[in-house]
Amino acid sequence: MLIKLAWRNLWRNKLRTSIMLSAMAFGLIGVVTMIGFMNGMYGNMIDNAISWQTSHVQVHHQGFVDNPEINLTIVEPERITADLAKMSEVIAWSERFIVDGMVASARSSRGVRINGVDIDAEARVTPIATSVKAGSWLPSEGRHPVVVSSKTAQRLRLKLGSKVVITFSDADKDVTGAAFRVSGIFSTPSTSFDDGNIYVRRSDLMAMAGIEGSHEIAVLLDDSNSMSNALAIMVRDKIRLITSNENSVRDWQQIQPMLASIIAQMGPSNAILLGIFVSAMGFGVVNIMLMSVFERTREFGVLMAVGMQKHKVFALIIFETSLLGVTGATLGLVSSLALVELLQITGIPLGNMAEGLGAFGVDTTLYPQVAASEYRYIFITVVLVCVLAALYPARQILKQRPVDAMAEKH
Amino acid sequence: MSIQTTQLRKTYNQDTDFPVHAVKQLDLNIEQGEFVAVMGPSGSGKTTLLNMIGGIDIPSAGTVVIDGIDICSLKDQALIAFRRDNIGFIFQDYSLLPVLTALENVEFVMQLQGHSEKECRERAIALLNQVGLGDQLHKIPSKLSGGQQQRVAVARALAPSPRFVMADEPTANLDAKSTAELLDIMQQLNEKEGTTFIFSTHDPRVIKRARRVIVFEDGQLTEDRVQ
Repeated sequence: MLIKLAWRNLWRNKLRTSIMLSAMAFGLIGVVTMIGFMNGMYGNMIDNAISWQTSHVQVHHQGFVDNPEINLTIVEPERITADLAKMSEVIAWSERFIVDGMVASARSSRGVRINGVDIDAEARVTPIATSVKAGSWLPSEGRHPVVVSSKTAQRLRLKLGSKVVITFSDADKDVTGAAFRVSGIFSTPSTSFDDGNIYVRRSDLMAMAGIEGSHEIAVLLDDSNSMSNALAIMVRDKIRLITSNENSVRDWQQIQPMLASIIAQMGPSNAILLGIFVSAMGFGVVNIMLMSVFERTREFGVLMAVGMQKHKVFALIIFETSLLGVTGATLGLVSSLALVELLQITGIPLGNMAEGLGAFGVDTTLYPQVAASEYRYIFITVVLVCVLAALYPARQILKQRPVDAMAEKH
Repeated sequence: MSIQTTQLRKTYNQDTDFPVHAVKQLDLNIEQGEFVAVMGPSGSGKTTLLNMIGGIDIPSAGTVVIDGIDICSLKDQALIAFRRDNIGFIFQDYSLLPVLTALENVEFVMQLQGHSEKECRERAIALLNQVGLGDQLHKIPSKLSGGQQQRVAVARALAPSPRFVMADEPTANLDAKSTAELLDIMQQLNEKEGTTFIFSTHDPRVIKRARRVIVFEDGQLTEDRVQ
């Protein structure tokens, strides 16, 4: 009966309750969409970084991490790759021969990281082969093909078939160089990555450098949860057990600590957003409940007079505000869910922001993401704040004796 | 079973220069089954007296003893439970819960006592039939006339089977016909079930029907007669 009474009391003033519920619903739609947008942006940034740059786990020579010298190749890479082949969590890996050098066209030159890769292995680990916008991915045949980014092509005025000269310091610290022909032009979501990387065949680069081996083994895992590096840590530790101490094995959060800090601050920043909303909503609910309770002071007096215990009066007020919270939160979250689902189909085009965010590896269209746990968290927070907002009005009523409450002329 | 007041006093604004003595040193004894009218002009202290003997107001001095229990010494929760189980109230403005139907209003007070839903439903229907509202069970108060609302209030007051019913000017807002009907109902209940009714009123129609009339003036009992 108390819940029935609370529900009917809530709808005594239909206009007032409807306005409050609308405010809660629209506010929640705004907050949830904003949280979804932030999650989508950060998730996209992390996914792209894993896809394009870090993979899940990377192996280097320890010295190479701090000082990428050409001679600092991985110790016994074949032992690592043999073990990777046995691990069920591993989808693919790619051995890379990496040097920093210059790429020059007839018009200009630029400093770049030259990635010497095994064609098929690299195509399995990163989406590079499918992101070639013009020409094709590195061919296995032909002399010295190179794949450059569209940004590099633009700066060096290159087109398919253009000749470039790649130079770098070889193993003996002598400058070495060779002519390459552009076989493909790629474009990734990260403009900064595009700016600084070109791809050649590992065999071509090793021949120029005068040494053999790998500077980097990138390992891709069967892990769809980009917000956790638990599987990466497990595989990292497995590799550490079998590899030389001279090698460094790092998971993606260690390779790019910025990604770890993004993940770490996503929770607090979403909590701040939600906190601002629920604070504003809380004051609104206090106001509504004060009006609603104080205009019924006499009625509460009568209830106490006819024998309603104070804890039941308190429960009645709490039920009223809880029902307000549950209804408002349900309305708001169901509407938000519908909107987020729609935006997951249509996406949110970033327009003019795309250029700037591209530097951080964000796609031009974002797809908001809101986890079920976040919906639950928001629901509980909203209901809890509503309950807290009723404590003051409830306390004011409970302080009164029935005769005083009944004397109120509200 | 009786209500006894001893040296009962109620003073408002006690700590000010202008205290108002609503009830002054009242000694009164009301026995079970009486049909009592407390009459007097407005401001004479009738309502204050009813509130104190009904346990919803605290006297400034003196005692109210009901069935040997000094209700003034009861703690808050015990006093509420005592009222719930022993005293019914009828108010001048009916004071029904506007969001509940007539039936639910009556059931509600029984549910506070912890009766089962079925018991509450059966007794509430019986009481509403008794007050002539068997065909208005599912109407909310705003859809009922003043007289009908006051009858619901009577049924609500009687639902927990109280031994005493305090009625504060119950006919003040009713027309002659409704007043007569209401008094008939209360008189029947008093005679059949032995429920004690104590009215505060200055309505001569009520005073005429009361078996005992207590006259109150300026907070003091000036006359106590049996008719």
